[in-house]
Order: sequence, then structure tokens, then C-alpha cells
Amino acid sequence: MIALLRSEWRKMTTIKLGWGMLLGAMALAALGVVAQIASNGSPGTGVPPLTNPDTQKAIAASASSAYLFSVVVGIIMITTEFRHFTSRPTFLIEPRRGRVIVAKILVAALVGVIYGIVCVALTAAIMIPWFGAKGVTIGWIDSGVLQSLLSALVVIALFAVVGIGVGVLVRNQIAAVIGTLVYLFVLEPLITIIPVVKNVYPYLPGAAAAAITGANRSSGLAHLDALHGGLVLLGWGLLFAVAGWMFTIRRDIP
Amino acid sequence: MSTDKPAVEGRIVASGLTKVFGQIKAVDDLSFSVEPGSVTGFLGPNGAGKTTTLRMILGLAEATSGTGTISGVTYAQLPHPGRTVGAVLEATSFHPGRSARNHLRVFCVAAGLPDKRADEVLDWVGLTQAATYSVRGFSLGMRQRLALATALLGNPRVLLLDEPANGLDPEGIAWLRGLLRRFADVDGRTVLVSSHVLSEVEQTVDRVVIIAKGRLIYEGRLADLEGSSSGVVVRSPTPDELSAALAPLNVKITPRPDGSVAVIGATPEAVGRAAWEGRVELHELRAGSSSLEETFLRLTADPSATSEASA
Repeated sequence: MIALLRSEWRKMTTIKLGWGMLLGAMALAALGVVAQIASNGSPGTGVPPLTNPDTQKAIAASASSAYLFSVVVGIIMITTEFRHFTSRPTFLIEPRRGRVIVAKILVAALVGVIYGIVCVALTAAIMIPWFGAKGVTIGWIDSGVLQSLLSALVVIALFAVVGIGVGVLVRNQIAAVIGTLVYLFVLEPLITIIPVVKNVYPYLPGAAAAAITGANRSSGLAHLDALHGGLVLLGWGLLFAVAGWMFTIRRDIP
Repeated sequence: MSTDKPAVEGRIVASGLTKVFGQIKAVDDLSFSVEPGSVTGFLGPNGAGKTTTLRMILGLAEATSGTGTISGVTYAQLPHPGRTVGAVLEATSFHPGRSARNHLRVFCVAAGLPDKRADEVLDWVGLTQAATYSVRGFSLGMRQRLALATALLGNPRVLLLDEPANGLDPEGIAWLRGLLRRFADVDGRTVLVSSHVLSEVEQTVDRVVIIAKGRLIYEGRLADLEGSSSGVVVRSPTPDELSAALAPLNVKITPRPDGSVAVIGATPEAVGRAAWEGRVELHELRAGSSSLEETFLRLTADPSATSEASA
């Protein structure tokens, strides 16, 4: 297993994909944080000022938007093997295909954690001088800002695992990436409108992610607590991976 | 299904291999064996089922029925498949953005091999100069060499190569021939090399397995295939009398489109003497010009013309 993990890590570090996606993740996280800070506390908008603990937490949690890139990295980590047929040498050297998938999940989790750390650190690096310049104290512990940053890290990391799951199930790279993005940004928000499915909404991937950071706590929708949100999101990733193993990976390798 | 051949280290055995895609039988009850210490050509026209067969033996595709074994076990049951079997499959399997050396190192570590092995095989296939370049810029010939390098990483005793000569220049083909011969003759490895062109492997292989439309057409020594092909073309106004006169020779007589017959299993001298002794009038008597390639084409064009394996 150690050999497989090292092999998967090498696959990741010997192409440019990971670095490019990390830059994208950083840009998205920074954009979210900057937009949040800039729009908050301006006079006359009725928006609570930066000193508000909830505002501070929301700003910290907005780093989680970088999950967009971690989920895509996860998807590409697996689908690129089928696209370029490196699946052949991979599964020739390790014919026990489930072990390869487990190695990919673990390496994706590590990649996701690295993305999370970088994006969260970037967020803090933006917040500290900006708040400092405005003379606002950041409530790292008291207001729960640190916790929000950590929750953003967890969301980013878990979505990399979800990406592997989706990629295992849907081997076509373009279909997997587009399908996932359409689901997360179009379909799932639409689902919240339908009254009947509101009960299952908390258990959907996007809602679970929002539960981790607490982003949907004030939305009026039912939501899970952070821990259960995390477990549900991880569960989605593993569910996809198991489904993919059953329906795709066990079949003929292209 | 079990194989009736004993498990020999390095022997490849296909036993009743069948692969059905929807309505199409890509491989149909195919059985053959490939021995260690020999180079075996796996021949057939495009679409005959060669790649599918190799993929089933390698466990990448699941057989609808039948088994493929290496050293008596299925691919997945091999203790160290990456260090036992090396395979080159038709399309090249590289990430375009990864360098040749990194490509090999990815699989070195997966197979439990030291990284320096990557440089060794790059040197073997003559790609040392290109080691740090992305595969994106590689020519087809370079990709074939890198695919071969990947197959050789684990110093395997069994090699399965699917159309390895594709894209190689004549120099590269000569080099490949030498390499394959050395593997079989010096190292005693098992080498199975597929091709849709007999002449490509004619000078390299000891034995051939010929398939068409997923079925076995011929399995045996190349030399025997050659012997069976060199017929004698005879034209006579009285073909029935000719057949009677040739009966004692125990030959196979098949009509040709131009009215003459092809006599297989006798020399022109023997045919001429038999005709003279039987007082049969001949208008033409010559050695058949059928080359090995023609024989191959004839065999593969008509799957029902199954020839007995003589090995």
C-alpha cells in the first residue's frame, strides 16, 4: 500500500495539474475573502460591521469556496488515467483495483488538506493586515474565526475525496467535471425550492459542506451540525467510490 | 475451466477464451499456448481479436468464458505481476505532460523497484537523451520505445507486445528484432508479439498463432506453415485423371480460379513423374509462387480453412 501511495503521489507531483489548480483555488479563496471584507460594514448598507463575530466567521469560512478546485483535482486525478490510458500500466502493476482506488482516495485527501492549508493561510494573510488597518480586532477564539478557518480547510479537503468518488463512477473527464459543477451550482440550489425534497436537503453534498462551515445556519433551511455535515460529505465521496468500483472499475479497463 | 497443459513457469496458456461484445463474438473459443524461450508471433488481420485476447490474458478485460493463464495462474493471481509480466498495448499509455523518466518512476515505485531502474530501461531503449522531455513531444517511434521501456521495468520473464513495431523506423525494427531474439534465446523469456503483417515478424518468430474473426486458424512452427504453403501449380485438360494419377502421392489438391489446381505436399518433380507415369497430359507444371504472406492472407481470409497445428 505504501508503494501505491507513493506512486499516486508521484503521479500528482510530476504533472502541472496540481500546481495550476492550487493557484486557481488560491485565487478563488482570495476573491471570496476580499469581496466579503469589502462589502461588509460600509455605512448605510445595513450590513453588520466587521467587528460583528458572525461577519468575521463568514469571512473566514468563505475560503471554503476553493473546494471548486479541490473537487475538480480529485476528478481529474482519476479520470486522467482513463483519458490517457495510464490506467493500463497502473492496473497491470496492481491488478487489485480496489487498492489503487483506496490509494487515490488517501492521496486526494492529502492533496485536499494541502489545498485547504494554503487557502486558509492565504485567507488569514489577507484578513490580518486588512483588519489591522481598520483597527478591528479579530476574534480568533472568542468569535470562532479560527474554527471557521478550520471548517473551510475540512470542506476543501473532503471535496477532493468526493472528486475521486465521482471520477471513479464517471470515467469520462469532461462529463464528470461538468456534471459535478452543474450539480453543485445549479441543481442543488434549485432543489431547495422544491418543498417535498426540503427534508432531504441537509443530506445533499452542498448542504453538508455548508453545514461544516455554518454557512446555511441562518438561511432558514434545515441543516446538520458541522460534525455530521462532515461525515455526510465524506460519505458521499465514499459512496460514489464504492458505486464506481461496483459499476465501473471492476469492468474492463479501457 | 481448467487448462489441460501443466503449469510451466513462463508459459502462457489461452484456454477456450471467449469475449462477447453485445452481439459480436470478438474472440471465439480461442486456445493456444506460448512457450518460454521462444518468440511467438500472434498474427491476424486488424479486428481479428488479437488485442482483446491479450487484454484478457492481462486481466484488463474480463473473459466472457474461458481462461488465460501465465505460469499456470491468472494474471491477478501472480505474486508480483509487475515484475513477472511486461506488456506493451497498442495505443500508448502516457500522460502527455509527464516526462519519460517520471513516467517510468511512477511505475517503479508502484512495482517496488528502485528509481535507477527507470534510467536503465531508458538507456536500453535509447531514450536517455529524451528522459526529461514531456511525452507530448514524442514521435510515435519514441512512444513505442517508452512503452517497451515501461514493459521492461520489472525485468519480466514474460513479455506480451501488441504491434510493437508500429511507428518504428527500419533501424528501430531491426533493433527490436535483436532485442526479442536475445530475450528468448539468451534469457529464456517468453515473448508473444502481435502483428497484422506477417513479414514484420517473419524473421523474428519461431512459432506463430494465427487468428481470424476471433478464431484460431493455425498454431505451430512458422517453418511448417511455410512447408504447407509451397504447393505445385498444375494445369491439365483432364483434371480427374490427374487426381487419380496423383492419388499415390497422398497430396492435397485444390482447384485454382484459373482452372489449374494447386497440389500441396509434393515437389514439382514428383508431380511431373506421377503425371507421366499415369499418362496424363499437362499444359503447365510449376512450383507455386505462394509466399508466406500469401499463405497468411489466404488463411486469414477464410476462417473455415483451419489447418492442423503440427507443433
